[in-house]
Amino acid sequence: MAKLATDLELDSALTLSQAAIGCDFQIRQVEGPACSQLRDIGFCEQMRVKKLTNGRNMLCTVCGTRLALSKDLADQIQVVPA
Amino acid sequence: MVGNPNAGKTTLFNALTGQNQKVGNYTGATVSRKSGTFFTPHGHKFELIDLPGAYSLDPNSPDEEITRNVLIGDQEDEETPNLILCVLDATHLERHLYLLIQVIDLGYPIVVALNKTDSAESQGLRLDPTALSERFGVPFVAISAMTERGITQLKQALRHPFPSPPGRLWKGPAELEEAIKKSTKLAETNRENNPAASGLMAVVKDNPEAKEFIQKARFEYIHRAVEVGLQRPNEELLALTDRIDAQTLHPIKGWCIFTALMITVFWSIFKFAEMPMGLIEEGQETLQGWVRDFIGEGDFQSLIVDGIIAGVGGVLVFLPQIILLFFFISLLESTGYMARAAYLMDGVMNKVGLSGKSFLPLLSGYACAIPGIMATRTIPNNKERLATILILPWTSCTARLPVYTLIIPLIFVGALQQGLALFGIYALGTITALLAAKILKPRLGETEPSQFLLELPPYQNPQWRHVLRQVSERAFAFIKKAGTVILGLSIILWFLETYPKSDSDDPIVQQSESFNGQIGEIIEPVVAPLGWDTRMGTAMIASFAAREVFRSSIAISYATDEEDGKELRDKLSASTHSDGTALYTPLVGLSVIVFFIYALQCLPTTVIVRRETGSWKWALSQLAGMTIFAYLAALLVYQTGKLLGYS
Repeated sequence: MAKLATDLELDSALTLSQAAIGCDFQIRQVEGPACSQLRDIGFCEQMRVKKLTNGRNMLCTVCGTRLALSKDLADQIQVVPA
Repeated sequence: MVGNPNAGKTTLFNALTGQNQKVGNYTGATVSRKSGTFFTPHGHKFELIDLPGAYSLDPNSPDEEITRNVLIGDQEDEETPNLILCVLDATHLERHLYLLIQVIDLGYPIVVALNKTDSAESQGLRLDPTALSERFGVPFVAISAMTERGITQLKQALRHPFPSPPGRLWKGPAELEEAIKKSTKLAETNRENNPAASGLMAVVKDNPEAKEFIQKARFEYIHRAVEVGLQRPNEELLALTDRIDAQTLHPIKGWCIFTALMITVFWSIFKFAEMPMGLIEEGQETLQGWVRDFIGEGDFQSLIVDGIIAGVGGVLVFLPQIILLFFFISLLESTGYMARAAYLMDGVMNKVGLSGKSFLPLLSGYACAIPGIMATRTIPNNKERLATILILPWTSCTARLPVYTLIIPLIFVGALQQGLALFGIYALGTITALLAAKILKPRLGETEPSQFLLELPPYQNPQWRHVLRQVSERAFAFIKKAGTVILGLSIILWFLETYPKSDSDDPIVQQSESFNGQIGEIIEPVVAPLGWDTRMGTAMIASFAAREVFRSSIAISYATDEEDGKELRDKLSASTHSDGTALYTPLVGLSVIVFFIYALQCLPTTVIVRRETGSWKWALSQLAGMTIFAYLAALLVYQTGKLLGYS
């Protein structure tokens, strides 16, 4: 049962660059060459994130902080709907 | 001592233990073990162990594993701690509280050092350590390890008896609680060092459902606690930020606002500086008059009046404009707009192979190239950093302002036209710098794509104290430079202008026979194709020490002319070639300006480039390349202008 839940959650995960604007997400996993940098600035597993704009550089809020990040970096953040 | 990486643990460790530190290795691991001792105000001696930074007690690296093992009493040759000092970054409180809540679950007495509270306050976050203490059941002490604020209070909080462990802050369903109880009992039977911790971890280890439940329960608790213990910049402020950002970050409107702001800044620099500049000029003339009355005519009077007062005063007169430029830069930074400008510029920067990260160093370059070059340290990509350093001196620094503002009024009339001309000069330097980056970057070798990550602070009222401090620091640095480097160079230039003495009474003959005149004769064939005369040639040579010296040199060389009492600009307008044609024509003015936009005439910049790139090769190539480019550009402007029939 637990495995099924985890699998379902993983299936529903999408990258932050794929996520829809204006919706709240929870960070499931941060993985990639810049993951440490992303965590340092607040993109940490389990944190809530809201995407504000799309584009080559996108805007989002994490814990009340507005951050701009490139698509390459947003691709390294896996989120699930909160 | 535990905390997330970058929570400021090491700074706090140093602040608490000072020199009493020991560095070793954990048994069987290459992870270093740092410990130190300190005394509390009550005279108790503590040994403090700086555990490796960890995001959670669910380890992802050998460092994090050591932290986990020490905390559950499973690390070889390491005693179980008596007290945990948990360091949290107040600017990322919500994220850092996750580690605290995990540590609380382990059943230790805990004191929390709420670090970076000064940064949090400046970000508009309002922390309530008392409310947080009540919610988590452990004392929170607000500190700033960097400025050592609150260190004494923290030491007082680390006193005997230790605060009692608050116990778990979340409750699981009966089934889970039963499992934890059983597992803890088993750990007790096995004589584990910390049965509560080992018991909980054993349950979580083999039960992903339980793990997920616990994670969620912890975060829910954190969210509730943060609601009372941390006030973010209020919703109104955030809504206001949203509304302003909708305009300032808009692909079209954003650029219009950016351009309008920049033009306003440059127009203001001319407009608002007029009156104080006039006052300084009047003061300078009055002072020269007094000195003439007090000191009899001769070389000493000439040194003071024509050398020192004309040279130093000629540069000091630009203090109001420099103050205004720094005031606007600080103001834009303080309100939060500067980060938006970097965001907007990222698209442009990317087209030339740089990122928005290069924008802030380049922008600092408008004030002074040296802090700009040092600010490139924040650019993670080495090639991008090198390219930024190499093009940075083409963003016009304030040292060029005295030259621009001397020449622009010879070409343009009216504050608006002059402001637009100055904006054009800055734009030309910037555009050339960006084009140079586009050409340079691929030639610097293969590189990873640039990644842009930037925090956009909420808009806020300017922190006037910070703005005023920055402006006054820069103003004093400028005055200091005028009183030291410019003063010294003014005396040397006066000497070169005055000696050797000529038998003739004609100031023009005197000047041509002086050292400066002789140097000018040598340099004339080089500068004549640019439309310059010998005085401009010598001033240009002198300005390689510091750009402002161009103006001092011109001021000194014209100070001995017959039209005493006239402003330097009027003297320049009236000056002619030997055949009677005007010397400072608009075309010559343009040629001078173009040369100064591109020439790297600043020895300290070359020294800093050498330090930051670690090679004279880059520093000297930059100096030679920019000088040759400046000469060719000025030559092109003057000769093309002449061909088109302009004078």
